[in-house]
Amino acid sequence: MTDGTTEGLNKAAVFICHCSGNISEHVDIDTVKKTLKAEGISVYDYEYLCSSQGQALIKNKIIEGHLDRVVIGSCTPSKHGTLFKKCVQEAGLNRAGLEIANLREQCAWVHPDRAGATEKALSLLKAKLKRLENVEPLEDIKVDIVQQALVIGGGIAGITAALNLADNGIPTFLVEKDSSIGGQMAKIGKIFSPDKLAEECAMCSLSPLMNEVAAHPKITLLTWTEVENLSGSAGNFTVRLKKKPRYVKDNCTACGRCSRVCPVLVEDEFNCGYMDKKAISLRFSQSVPKVYCIDPNHCLQLNGETCGKCAAACKNGAIDFSQKEEIIELNVGAVIVATGFEEYDASQKPQYGYGIFENVMTQMELARVLGINGPTKGELLRVSDFSKASSDPAPATCDSRCESSSNDSCAETPKRIVMIQCVGSRDEKEGGNRYCSRYCCMAALKHASLIKKRYPETEITICYIDVRAFGFYENYYRAVQETGVNFVRGRPAEVIEKPDKSLVVRVEDTLNQKIKELPADLVVLSAAMIPSPGTKKIASVLNLSQDESGFIKEKHSKLKPVDSSLDGIFVCGTAQSPKDVTDTIAQSGLAAVRARAFITDSPKTLDNEIATINQLLCTRCGGCLKCPFDALSLNESGRVVLDPLICTGCGYCTELCKEGAVKVAGFTKPQLKAEIEGVLEEGDMLGFVNSGIASLTCDNIGNSVLTYPSNVKLIRVPTSLVVDIDLVMHAFRHGASSVLFVEDPPDNPRAEAIYPLAVRHFEKLKEKLGDSGNRIHFKKAYVPNIKGLAGTFTSLAREGEMIK
Amino acid sequence: MKAIESIPDRKLLLFKSCMVGQEYPGVETATRYVFDRLGIDYCVNDEQSCCTGIGHYTDIFEGLTTAAIAARNFAVARKCGYPNITCLCSTCYAVNKEACELLNTNAEVRDKVNSIFKEKGFDDLVYEKGDMDSRTNFYHAVEILLSKVGQIKEAKKFDFSGVKAASHHACHYYKVKYLDVVGSPENPQLIDTIAEACGASPVRWYEDRTLTCGMGFSQLHLNKNTSLQVTKTKLDSLQRAGVELMLHMCPNCHIQYDRYQPVIEKEFGVKYDMVHMNIAQFVALSMGADPYKVCGFQTHSVPLEGFLEKTGIL
Amino acid sequence: MIPYVNEYDTPNCNTLAETAKKSIRTPESLGLDRCIQCGACTASCPAARFSDYSPRQIVKKVLENDHSVLESKMIWSCFYCYSCNVRCPRNNSPVTIVQVLRQMAINEGIGVEKLAYFLEIGEYLAENGASKVPETGIRNMEKDLGERWIGIKRNLGSTRSEMGLSSRDFRNTNGEVQAILESTGYFEREKWIKIKIEEKRIHGFVKTNYSDKDKKNGEFGFESDRKYTGQEAITV
Repeated sequence: MTDGTTEGLNKAAVFICHCSGNISEHVDIDTVKKTLKAEGISVYDYEYLCSSQGQALIKNKIIEGHLDRVVIGSCTPSKHGTLFKKCVQEAGLNRAGLEIANLREQCAWVHPDRAGATEKALSLLKAKLKRLENVEPLEDIKVDIVQQALVIGGGIAGITAALNLADNGIPTFLVEKDSSIGGQMAKIGKIFSPDKLAEECAMCSLSPLMNEVAAHPKITLLTWTEVENLSGSAGNFTVRLKKKPRYVKDNCTACGRCSRVCPVLVEDEFNCGYMDKKAISLRFSQSVPKVYCIDPNHCLQLNGETCGKCAAACKNGAIDFSQKEEIIELNVGAVIVATGFEEYDASQKPQYGYGIFENVMTQMELARVLGINGPTKGELLRVSDFSKASSDPAPATCDSRCESSSNDSCAETPKRIVMIQCVGSRDEKEGGNRYCSRYCCMAALKHASLIKKRYPETEITICYIDVRAFGFYENYYRAVQETGVNFVRGRPAEVIEKPDKSLVVRVEDTLNQKIKELPADLVVLSAAMIPSPGTKKIASVLNLSQDESGFIKEKHSKLKPVDSSLDGIFVCGTAQSPKDVTDTIAQSGLAAVRARAFITDSPKTLDNEIATINQLLCTRCGGCLKCPFDALSLNESGRVVLDPLICTGCGYCTELCKEGAVKVAGFTKPQLKAEIEGVLEEGDMLGFVNSGIASLTCDNIGNSVLTYPSNVKLIRVPTSLVVDIDLVMHAFRHGASSVLFVEDPPDNPRAEAIYPLAVRHFEKLKEKLGDSGNRIHFKKAYVPNIKGLAGTFTSLAREGEMIK
Repeated sequence: MKAIESIPDRKLLLFKSCMVGQEYPGVETATRYVFDRLGIDYCVNDEQSCCTGIGHYTDIFEGLTTAAIAARNFAVARKCGYPNITCLCSTCYAVNKEACELLNTNAEVRDKVNSIFKEKGFDDLVYEKGDMDSRTNFYHAVEILLSKVGQIKEAKKFDFSGVKAASHHACHYYKVKYLDVVGSPENPQLIDTIAEACGASPVRWYEDRTLTCGMGFSQLHLNKNTSLQVTKTKLDSLQRAGVELMLHMCPNCHIQYDRYQPVIEKEFGVKYDMVHMNIAQFVALSMGADPYKVCGFQTHSVPLEGFLEKTGIL
Repeated sequence: MIPYVNEYDTPNCNTLAETAKKSIRTPESLGLDRCIQCGACTASCPAARFSDYSPRQIVKKVLENDHSVLESKMIWSCFYCYSCNVRCPRNNSPVTIVQVLRQMAINEGIGVEKLAYFLEIGEYLAENGASKVPETGIRNMEKDLGERWIGIKRNLGSTRSEMGLSSRDFRNTNGEVQAILESTGYFEREKWIKIKIEEKRIHGFVKTNYSDKDKKNGEFGFESDRKYTGQEAITV
């Protein structure tokens, strides 16, 4: 059965799938079988190789025939590659011994001419057989993942993510820069909800979760702590944290005696800057942990003056002025970034008077005013009337930015309120943001509704461009409309203050083309949601991709919505994009699931073939360290080492290495040469196709019933970077009339790094080839652009035929 | 935003303004008086023509004519070695800056303008892309003053403390090329900051602060009622804010407020307690300049004598 | 007579919006297509505040490619103050679009009578290198501003001299400005405009005030526009 030429193939076999006519109707399988058999190769065919019967056939033949090499002719490897790999491995074959020839999407479906399709099928199978002649077994690369996670940010996103991770058994560290968790949600008093027409108490939802975090055996809570540095790689990160001193020990019972005797009043960031906090305080009364904290910038004792009143008042001796900053190092397998947003600084739009007129405030500030734990204890007052708040204890004084207020003796509830939407959102001007902040329409409706319920006489007007009450929120919008809130469709030009401190909003009501001057006692600006300083800082500390506004960019908005640009780091909540509480919680759950899946898949077996370094050939010149993903580095002994979790197998290092010491497993030069020799006939067009999006696009030509000539031959490569001049010349020598590189478009983080390199690589090749340079071509393949790609294939193939 | 540090004090071509020359020559002399005392390196060149602004904004000149005239003036500036065009009039500033941007970005217009020059034998006027930089070669005189506000404060000879001064920043300075304004184009504070350095108390915010003066190019002549209504609205706001001195930076606004304040008083039966001047005239006064020989107050319609006596200058 | 159409200010395109975008009068990155009709322009506009002018409606007409906007008196009310330009959240610029519309109107002989008042600016510039208030304007100013101003103007030469300036704001342009205006086609166009104005005068179209309130052309179909009567024009 064997002869000299096929000596190496006595343990090889070919399996051909009919794909229920999908292949067999276009490819004459009998001819293929006969031809191959005549060359002494065992060939088997089956209706459906992907069925369990089909797989059983493959397994049986491997075991019976002691096969060590298998070629499967079937649909695209993107579809059943993993299945067939598992199948041959179960029969004891090394995965290197399996090759899949794409007889469906890149042969049967695109070549209507049966003879041409049959001939091409044969060449594809032979090429794969030839490739296998040089096979070397591949080892599975496995990596241990550290079995704990870090969540950065203790707002509703971080709390949700941490609880989900911990409930799933993952030991989790939750780091928060402030003295309590709770984040922005703790500030907003009431929250809107898509299914209820009533506003829910934010703290009633949040507080139990915060307590659960504190009590959870799998969660280590680190408040008043910031992330300094992150090193290592996915699965094994080292994080350095800085824990600031609270100057109060954990035995604090939060009795509040210290705060009552503290003589220093400070600006309260939690209450939007109103002066109603002491230098020793709780962030808010439901703080977790419930341990007081001293503001080191304002405490007299810590600033060289003698005070110590708090220490004297504390019955537990919890005050400790000697506390020092601590550095903590953690090892974690995965990180979730939940660092949140801050409100846009509305003073950047001076036309609306924020920071100039005291009775102009933002929605977040209004939320605090309406909050029962806010500066007016929930009483709706103009800022100029804050000092007259009737509540006890000590009335809150007005914000430092305000001048004196009028001297009426009794505080009046504002009678007319105008809200201005899209302040700093949907704004292309300098200092604005182009995006819609997504929550402000609902926040304005919520506040209008709350005020209408408590003060039904108040006249409220919302100036909007579009009311974006998406999904079920429309119900809420309708309910608020029924409370008698006025809506004016127009973006106001400016806010004017009259000498009596009353305000006027100038706006065109675009629905009746009238310019209106709306009188107001209080103007509320719905300011944009922008990434918090913490989000921007973390993005730079962790080196994560950000969008143009500074939000942390996900890998893919639909398919990988919580994966950051780095493996093992996930993002959720408003650190990723503007969103409301409901969406934040939903997304945070997903981030926890993704992080958990990443951690528990340990030891992790890598899917993709990656670079390997032949230390014997390596001269340690460092050329390969230019890896765009930083996967290569020098270890302590000066050896070049590869981080298998970071390497994407793109092959750029094979181009960089002058010694040929680096290669991508499965795509070595001998293997590619063998496939070129096997597949090519005189006058063929040879395509090197990136195995990512570009391959999918090529397959899609077949899925869409488009055609191209059968002298188009395609070889899958990790990226075109592995194809050097030697391989191109080899292709020309073996009959290729032209060579086409089909690359992934730069619209995901990996391709963004690779694409420019591939373009440069191509240009260099062209230059080196001299006169033959015009025989190589480059094409960027977007998935929908199948017609364009098929057209390129056809025209290049026609040229090849002409030359022939 | 234009960084204050980037404003030059060398090689400035003080760009002559037609309206300054014909109505308020004191704006030019006061500016030169102040520039001389601040040690600014500038020149005035008679070869420089009108920017075309008045005709451009009354729709009689098309963009090509404006671009060609601008290119010629750029050549004048470059040839005399003073390429930083510094305008007394906000419309000159906007027209020149826009024309420069057009000449740099639109090859078709540039080629057409150059072909006209070549055809006429004006080879020295030919404009090559990038000969001028629309962001770094164009300034308003008030920007130069702002960059020297420290020196202005030191050179103060008169006490203007307690003078309630309000500013009117010219629309064509901050609303046309709004990305190149010192500070926020929604709240420019150049004049206020300079006035404060001279000791005055600037009214930094008043109602209708950003409202146009009302001149509106053809509007003053063809829609006079509306034009003066706008001016009156602004004067009313200033009166309510208790302003006694209004400071401008553009001769067109200056005409509208100073020349037409008496007209509005007569037509609408109102009375305003404020006087008008250009910020350069105010700085010159503060430095001890003669109100008539330098500031040219004799060409103003609203008499300034009362103000000058009150502040002890007269 | 064929008008001199300036292809740079009013390039010939299929739609008003295309012309506006390609015109050199508008910024290169004009956000016209992105207009969301939010009304920030109109609310910020002095002309809109004191008359029935509406930059937002003009932009809408342009986007709808409604050529009647060229005949609307509304386009002649803009102050060119650029408040809409600085406020528009979409980087649209109604003020520069209106400049293009006025140029297009002029090309069609509409509104040329508005230019009569100012046409001498061109000739004066060519001759003197400077601009000045046109004679009619000076006569009106004399009427409005009275003796004080007339005196100021009469003494201007000596005042200037006392201040150390040349008695007149003299410009030496070596005939270059004249030559440039000739070559850009300015005079050709000026001539055409003058003829058009004359035609209109003969046909009685140029009136001292606009009484043709019921004129259908250029009507925007809005209540506010029907009431729009334009401002009193000054005799040409």
